[in-house]
Amino acid sequence: MKWLALLLGVGLSAQVVASDIINAKQLLTDMSSAIQERNFDASFVVVKGKGMEPYRWIHGKVDNSELEILSRQNGAGLEVVRIDNKVTYFEPQTQPYSIETDAIAGPIPEILFGEVGSLASSYDFVLGGKERIADRAAQLVRLVSKDEHKYNYWLWIDIQSALLLKAAYVTQQGEVLEQLQLTHISVTEQPAPPLIELSSKDFPMPLASLAQTDNAQKLQNNWRIGWLPEGFKLLKSDRHKLDLNNELADYFLFSDGLVEFSVFVQRPLSGQRASGALSSGATTVYVHNSGAFDVSVVGKIPTMTAKAIAESVTRPL
Amino acid sequence: MTQSNFNVKDGQVTSSILDAEQVLDNASQAQFDAEKFARYALIGDAMRSEQNQAPCIDITASMADALADEVTYGEQAPQQEPQKVHQEDNVVTLSNWRKPLAQVAIAASVSLIAVLGVSNYSPQEQANGDFPVLQSTPVTGSVAPVSLSSEPALESAEKGLRELQQQRIGALVLEHQRQSRMAHALAQQAQEEKEEQEK
Repeated sequence: MKWLALLLGVGLSAQVVASDIINAKQLLTDMSSAIQERNFDASFVVVKGKGMEPYRWIHGKVDNSELEILSRQNGAGLEVVRIDNKVTYFEPQTQPYSIETDAIAGPIPEILFGEVGSLASSYDFVLGGKERIADRAAQLVRLVSKDEHKYNYWLWIDIQSALLLKAAYVTQQGEVLEQLQLTHISVTEQPAPPLIELSSKDFPMPLASLAQTDNAQKLQNNWRIGWLPEGFKLLKSDRHKLDLNNELADYFLFSDGLVEFSVFVQRPLSGQRASGALSSGATTVYVHNSGAFDVSVVGKIPTMTAKAIAESVTRPL
Repeated sequence: MTQSNFNVKDGQVTSSILDAEQVLDNASQAQFDAEKFARYALIGDAMRSEQNQAPCIDITASMADALADEVTYGEQAPQQEPQKVHQEDNVVTLSNWRKPLAQVAIAASVSLIAVLGVSNYSPQEQANGDFPVLQSTPVTGSVAPVSLSSEPALESAEKGLRELQQQRIGALVLEHQRQSRMAHALAQQAQEEKEEQEK
C-alpha cells in the first residue's frame, strides 16, 4: 500500500513538473508572438549596478509590414530601426548600416522574439510567482542555466497582454546583476505616428554575406580555444582591426542562443600587466596576459567562465 | 609741402576757433575741420576733467565702413534650408535624421563604458578575492613601489600603459557590442544550413 502511494506521488509530481515546463514555455511563446503582433509604445530602463540607461521602444504593424524603433535616450545616441527583416543601426560617427535579420539586437536577447524552444538544451524553463510590475499583474518565468557557467535570465510577463514587463540577469547565487524594467507601456489599436513616418523612408541595403565559412575554418586553426561552456557555438571568426584604436585582433564570436561572448587574441601590451576582470552589469571583460599574446573575453557570462575560456586559449601544436 | 602747410594752417584756424580767438564765420568755416574741433574739445575736456562721463569717441562711422565689405553669413542659411529639406524628404541619412542625437562623439560613449566598467566592478568579486581586479584607475592611498613613484619618467610610462589598456578595453567592449548584433542572424543562417544538409 505504501509503495503504491509513493508511486502515485512520484507520478503526480512528475506530471506537475511537466505541465510547469509547458506553461513556462507557452508563456514565452505567447510573449514573443505578442511582441510581434501588437502595436505598442513603451519606455524602459536598463539598470547596471549604479548605471542606468533609458530606452524608448515602439513597435507596430503598418500595411502588413512589421516596424520597430528602439532608441537610447541618454548620452551618445543609438537608434535602431527594423522594417520586417531589415535592421538598421544609426550611431554617431559611423555610417548607418543594415543587417538582414528579424530582431533588433538591443538589451533584450533576440531569441525572446523568436523560437524560444531552441534554448531548452541549455536552460530549464521554470514558472515563478506572480508579481505586480509597472502597475500590471505579471508572471515570473525563469530561464535557469543547466550548469554554473552561465547566468540565469528571469522574465516577468504581463498576464493580460503577454508583453514583457521586466527582465534580469541573475547569478547562480540569486544576485541580480542587470535589470530591465518597463516604466510605461501603451498598447494601441493604431501604430504610433513615428512608425507610420518610417514606412516612407529609405534605408541602406543590408550588408552582403555575413559568414565566410572558409575563412572561419582557417582562423580556427590559428588558435586553439581549449574550453568552452556547454552549449556555445562558434558563429564567426576572422582577423580585423578594431574600430576604435586600430589594433589588430584575431576575433571569435560564440553564442548559446541567449547570450554571446567575444574572444580577442592580440599582441600583448608592453610591460608586465597582470590578468584581471572588469564588469558592468552582467557584462564581463576578462583580460588574460599569457606572455606572448593577450586574450580578452567580453560577454554576459560569469567572470569565472570568462577566465577559464581566456586561459584555455593556446597556440595549436 | 603745400598740403602739409595747408593742414597746419587748417589746424591753427580750428584751434583758434575753439579758443574763441577767432569768430566762426563764413571765411573761417572754409578752413574749419569739424573732426579736429571735436578732438580738441575732447582733449580739453579730458585735461580739465570736466566730463563726468567717459569721453565719447564716435566710431560708428568707421565700423559702418568696415562692415560694408563684410560677407553676410546669417542671411543665406534660412533660404537654403527649406530647399534641402524638401529634396531629401524621403531619403534617410543619419546626418539629417535625428541629427542632434549624433552629436555626442563616440569617444565619449566609449569612455563612458570604460568609466562605468571601472567604477562598477562588482564588490562581491573583490570580496571573494578570486579574481584580481584590473586597476584601470589608480587607487588613492595605495603604496606605489618606490622606484615607480620617484621616477617621473617611469611613472608616466606606467600611466600611459594604463591609458592604453583602458583604451583597449573600451575598444573591445564596443567591438563586442557591434559584433553581437550579427550573432542572431548568423545563428539563424547556421541553423538553416544545417537543416538543408540534413535534407
